[in-house]
Amino acid sequence: MSRQEANAPHPRKEPRFPGPLSLARLEEVFSDCVDFSKREVFLHGDSQRRATVCYIDGQARTERLNDYVLRPLAQDPMLASVPEGELFALLERGALYAQAAKRETEVDPVAFALINGSCALFLEGRDDCLVFPVATEEKRSVGEPENEPALKGARDSFVESLRTNTSLVRRRMRAPELKIREHIVGRQSLTPVDVLWIDGIADPDTVALLEQRLDAIDIDGVEAAGNLEEYLVDAGKSPFPMMPYTQRPDRFCQGLLEGRVGLFADGIPLGWLLPGTIDQFFKTGQDRAYHWLVASALSAIRWLCALITLLVPGLYIALVTFHPEAIPPKLALSIVAAKQEVPFSTIFEVLIMLLAFEVIQEAGLRLPGPIGATVSILGGLVVGNAAVEAHIVSPAVLIAVAIAGVAGYTMPSQDFGNALRLWRFLLAILASLGGLTGLALGCAGLIYHLAGLESFGVPYLAPFTTGTRVPRGHPSLFRLPLPRMKWRDGPVRTQNRRNQR
Amino acid sequence: MKKYFTPLLILCLLLTGCSGLPTAREMGDMALLRTLGVDPSPAGVAVTGSTGPRAKGLQGDGEPALTLSADRPSLSAACLAMQGQSDSFVFFGYVDQLLIGETLAEKGVRPVLDYFSRDAELGLGAQLWLVRGASARDALSAGGDEGIDTRLETIQNDSKMGIANLTRTAGEVYTDLLELGSAYVPALSPAGEGGAVLAEQGYGVLKGDVLAGFLEGEAAKGLELLAGGSSADVLDVELPEGPVSVKVTSACTKSRLEFQGDVPSALKLTCKVEVRLSEYRARPAGQGLESLRTEVARLERVRLEGALEQLRAWGTDCTGLGAKAGMLHPARWQGVQADWPERFSQVPVEIQVEVRIL
Repeated sequence: MSRQEANAPHPRKEPRFPGPLSLARLEEVFSDCVDFSKREVFLHGDSQRRATVCYIDGQARTERLNDYVLRPLAQDPMLASVPEGELFALLERGALYAQAAKRETEVDPVAFALINGSCALFLEGRDDCLVFPVATEEKRSVGEPENEPALKGARDSFVESLRTNTSLVRRRMRAPELKIREHIVGRQSLTPVDVLWIDGIADPDTVALLEQRLDAIDIDGVEAAGNLEEYLVDAGKSPFPMMPYTQRPDRFCQGLLEGRVGLFADGIPLGWLLPGTIDQFFKTGQDRAYHWLVASALSAIRWLCALITLLVPGLYIALVTFHPEAIPPKLALSIVAAKQEVPFSTIFEVLIMLLAFEVIQEAGLRLPGPIGATVSILGGLVVGNAAVEAHIVSPAVLIAVAIAGVAGYTMPSQDFGNALRLWRFLLAILASLGGLTGLALGCAGLIYHLAGLESFGVPYLAPFTTGTRVPRGHPSLFRLPLPRMKWRDGPVRTQNRRNQR
Repeated sequence: MKKYFTPLLILCLLLTGCSGLPTAREMGDMALLRTLGVDPSPAGVAVTGSTGPRAKGLQGDGEPALTLSADRPSLSAACLAMQGQSDSFVFFGYVDQLLIGETLAEKGVRPVLDYFSRDAELGLGAQLWLVRGASARDALSAGGDEGIDTRLETIQNDSKMGIANLTRTAGEVYTDLLELGSAYVPALSPAGEGGAVLAEQGYGVLKGDVLAGFLEGEAAKGLELLAGGSSADVLDVELPEGPVSVKVTSACTKSRLEFQGDVPSALKLTCKVEVRLSEYRARPAGQGLESLRTEVARLERVRLEGALEQLRAWGTDCTGLGAKAGMLHPARWQGVQADWPERFSQVPVEIQVEVRIL
C-alpha cells in the first residue's frame, strides 16, 4: 500500500471480525490481550461435559462471574443429567442466574460483548455460544458539581458513566415521553453516545439532524468534549461555543423541558443541550432558585460584565491614547500623573498586562490547588504592586485590565468567557490602531460574526434577532416571575409552546 | 478564503490607508490646560492658559500651575506659540473655563467664540466669564501657583446649588448672541490684597458682540429674576412685629406681549417668587404675613425695574422676554422680531410680582 493510499480516507470495516464464531477464532481475535481470560469447567464435576467461559478481566465483575455463572455450572446436578441436546437450551432458559442470555453465532458481536463486560459460554463440540452480562459497575460516585456550585438547589452532578447520567435524568423526568437513543461513535473507542429528548416537546427535525451528524462522525475515539463539539457544530472556526453544557442534572432537565435536545457521551461527565443560543451561556442553575428580581439583577450584571470584559481594555487604549478629551478632567489629571514616569506606551502596557493576566491565570490553573493559589497571589499582588511601584506599568492600566479580567469570571460558561478573552485582545489591538473608530469597527465585526452563526438551524443570536414572526418565550436579559413564563422559546421550534396552565 | 479577504482588505485600508483616523498621543507628556484667558494686545490678541496644579508621579509633590501666554495677531497663532513654550504637549481639550478681558469685550467677543466653536480641541462647553476692571491675564495670575481653576470650579458648583451668580457656557452666550442679538455673561474681578482672589461682579451685558455695560447689585439680582434662575438671596424686612429675614428659594418670570393691531402695546411680566422664613422674633401671621408678602414683592419689583431700566436703555433683551412672549403670538412676533431691540426700549412694561411664603 502506497503512502498516499494509506493516508487516504478509508471506509469503516463492518463487521470488524467477519465470519462464524468458534472458541479458537475468539482466542485469535484477543491474541496478545493479557486481560483476555477463559476458564474451563466440568459441568457438575462430569469430565465428559465441559464448558468454557471467556471474559475480559477487569470488565467483568468477579463476584457475578463466580456466583451466577461458574457456581451453577459446577454445582447444578441437572446440568450433568440433562440430555446433551437440551443442555444448551437449558442454559439459555435460566440454569444460570443472569438478567439476560443471548445466543451468538458470529465473532463480531461476541468480541464487543466481552469488551463491554459480558462473558461468553462455549460448550464442548459447539461453535455458538451464550453471552451473559456480568459487567463491573466500578465508577466514580455522584458528587457535587464543581464548576456549577449550587447554593440553593440539588447537589448531584453528572459522572463519567453514561448510564448513571441517564438514570439521574430519568429520576427527575419520570414521563415515559423522555426518549433516549444510543449511537456508537469512534472507530477504536466505540463510545456510546446518547441522545435524549422529550417526545412531543422537542423538535423532531433537530433530533434527526443531531443523530444524522452523530452517525456521520468517523473518528478514532471520543476522548474529549471537543471530539463531539467540533464535529457537530456548524461553525467550527468560531471561538464562541455553540453547544451549551452543564454538569447539573436539574439544569439539564430544565433544558429538555424548554424543548432542547440533550446529548451524553460515555466517559464525559457533562450533558450538552442543543440547539445553543447566546442567552444559554448567561444562565445559571440558580436563576430559577432565586427570587425573580434578584435573578434578573444578576442576569443584567452578567450581560454588563460581558461588555466590560470585552470593551474595557480597548476603551482604555482608545480614550487615553486617541481621545483624551473624553475623559473627565480629574481622572485625566490622575492618569497623567500616573503615566509620567512609565517608560512604555499605553498600548504596549495594556497588551502586555493582558498577556500577563492570561499567563498568571494559566499557571494557576495548571498547578495543584495550593501552589496555584500561591502563584496567583505572587503574580497578581506582589508582581503587580512591584510593577506599579517601579513605574513599569501605571496603576490605571492595572485596574482596567483587572476589572476586565474579573468581569470575565462572571460568565457562567467558561467556553463563552474564553471566546470573550480572545475577542478582548482583538478589540484592544484594533483600538490601538484606530482609537474609537477601530473599536467600533471591531464591535461591528463581532456582531457580524455572531449574527452569522447558527446552531442546528437556529440563529445564535436567536433571542434577539428572530424578529416578530417567531414568538418569544420570555425575555433573555432578565427573568420574569415563573407563573408568567408560560411559553417555551419559539426559535427552538418546540412542538408544544405552552409549559404551564 | 475569498469570503474573508475582502473584509480584511477593507479593514486594512480603513486602518492604514485612511488619513481620517486620529493620531495616537500619550497622556503622560501632556500639559492639560484648564483655563484660557483672552485679551487684546498690540500684536493682536493675547492668550493666556493655565493648567491648574499638577502632580508629578504617583506619590510626587504637587507642581505649580503651568501658565503659558503668547501675543500674536490671531488666536490660532497664539495657541500654536504656546505649544512651543512647554516641555509637554499642550492639550487644549480640557479648557472648560474661558475668561475674556473687559477691553476685549468692548471690542467684540465674536472672534473668540467663533474660534472656540471651530477648533477641534476647544469647545463651546467652556464656562465663560468677563473680567471686569482688569485683563484676563491678570485674573489668571490671581491664583498664583495654585491657578484659578479650583476657584472657578467652586463658583460654577455654587451656581448650580443656587448660592452664587448664574454661570453661562460659551455656547449659551453664543446662541443668545445669534438668536437674541444680546447676552448676559457673569463677571469677575480680582479683589483682595494684591488682587489674589476672584470676586463676583454682577453681569456684563453684550449687545451684538460688544460689551454694553455691567449690571451689579440690585440690578444684577433683577436680571437673575428675569432669567428665572435666582441665586439664593436673603431679604431683611422690617415689620411691626420686628425684623424678619426671608430666603428666596426660587423665582420664575413669565412674559406676555399685548398687541394693538400688529404693534406691541405692552410687555406684561409676572414674576413668581418663593421665599422661606429664615429668621424672626415672632412668626408672622395674618396681617403680618400679608405685610411681609407686600414688602417682599416691593423689593423684588424694585430689582426687576432696576434691571429692566438698564436693559431697556441699552436696547438689550438679553433674557429673551420678547422671544418667550412671542411664542404665544408667532405670526405677530414674526413681524416685530427684527426691530424688537428698539421696541423693547419703548414698549410699556407692566410688572406683577407674586410672592409665596413657605
